[in-house]
Amino acid sequence: MGAGLGQRGAREAVWTSVKAGLGATAVALLLGTLVAFAVQRYRFFGRDAVSLLVVLPIALPGIVTGIAMDTAFRSVIEPLGMGKGLLSVIVGHATFCVVVVYNNVLARLRRLGGNLEEASADLGADTFQTFRNVTFPLLRSALFAGGLLAFALSFDEIIVTTFTAGPGVQTLPIWIFNNLFRPNQAPVINVVAAVLIVLSIVPIYLAQRISDTAAGGRL
Amino acid sequence: MTAPSTLDRLSSWLHRHSGVRLAGLLSAPLLWLFVAYLGSLAVLFVSALWTVNSFTGDLVREPTFANFRTILTEEVYRTVTLRSLGVAAAVTVIDVLIALPMAFFMAKVASPRGRRLLVIAILTPLWASYLVKAYAWRVMLANGGPVDWLFGGAGNGPGYGLTATVLVLSYLWLPYMILPIYAGLERLPDSLLEASADLGGRGGRTFRSVVLPMIVPSVIAGSIFTFSLSLGDYITVQIVGGKTQLIGNLVYANIGAANNLPFSAALATIPVLIMVIYLVAVRRSGALEEL
Repeated sequence: MGAGLGQRGAREAVWTSVKAGLGATAVALLLGTLVAFAVQRYRFFGRDAVSLLVVLPIALPGIVTGIAMDTAFRSVIEPLGMGKGLLSVIVGHATFCVVVVYNNVLARLRRLGGNLEEASADLGADTFQTFRNVTFPLLRSALFAGGLLAFALSFDEIIVTTFTAGPGVQTLPIWIFNNLFRPNQAPVINVVAAVLIVLSIVPIYLAQRISDTAAGGRL
Repeated sequence: MTAPSTLDRLSSWLHRHSGVRLAGLLSAPLLWLFVAYLGSLAVLFVSALWTVNSFTGDLVREPTFANFRTILTEEVYRTVTLRSLGVAAAVTVIDVLIALPMAFFMAKVASPRGRRLLVIAILTPLWASYLVKAYAWRVMLANGGPVDWLFGGAGNGPGYGLTATVLVLSYLWLPYMILPIYAGLERLPDSLLEASADLGGRGGRTFRSVVLPMIVPSVIAGSIFTFSLSLGDYITVQIVGGKTQLIGNLVYANIGAANNLPFSAALATIPVLIMVIYLVAVRRSGALEEL
């Protein structure tokens, strides 16, 4: 562990991955919850199209998302004076992470129905109080499960990252991939791989703890 | 009695205007998805019509169908497209065949404790790094490695190549197939199975006539994952595929070494087209709700 995570490259890469994962998860939590509420609570024109649009980034291969964003960056954003960096990785990851939060929140909202919120309104609570005291506590574990999955997807992502990372931005999967075929790095890779597998127990344990009925949430 | 605060007024105003509430909910996500995602896809399609000057390497921003003409006329692209489709289809079929009995056992046969352990067993590889798993298979499939030994000696196993690619991709995406099917089966009431048995349906008949029709959307949902993930993969192929090339490799090679972004963009429209056709075809089955 000392040799693996002690290596500057690997340690920096872990840090970059954590930052990208947290950023993408935060965006996905916000956007995914908003869409889930809109789709579940309202009937509007284009509702099916909206839910298809949310699903699309995960239904189309990652390389498509990656190269599309790369092309957009090269031909539209860069001429405007903004290069690729960590932010572009977060944008790429958040786009396909929205769907996992959306799915978890949508499933929870369907199960809850609207009775409790109506009761809260009948008892005189306003929209914000109802959300803070009734809806949000009921959604918390779904948000946690969705957020956890979003973070895991982002932390392990390599294809979209390859295309959206700026020069010098190296996430852990990119670092592993770059070192995978270097014989003298093999021991370090093995250590990092072993540590990653052991660490993966943490999110699984958490996911099991928070959702005993849903058996670890959904994809 | 105090005057209603701004927040109170905002709250009741929002309560009366459901259109405003809906707009408030949708504007940020739609802006994001339209600008960051559909906008990028639009740029991708436009740039697929550009070319690169073969002398200077500069982008020529004049729309032509030259890239698509090359893709349609040159044998190699048709071969690679068909091979990628074949790999994606094979992976999907293998995963369905493994996932159906597995998910059925988890949802209907196993004890609550066993079910929990099995769910953990299936989720664990999902959290482990993709690269680490592919790398582990590289070691397994190496000449004289464990897989060769299983087949009776060095050189007898599949080695690196197309078979290894299908094998490893099937392994990697299996949880994405099991979990939707498991979720679908969990919702299927046991009473339906009992009713079928009471009416004289044996195991096979019950499965064909009762279980299968009910979980088709879940199977399709899983297949969207396995199909799309296989179709876009270029990393597993590099690790265990030997010299095998899939669409992903061509896209990657053209953007990297060849520095021909427009041609990569044109190649990337192939998986988009395949997936959009697939999504449109399965839309009515309700599979998208199961994702």
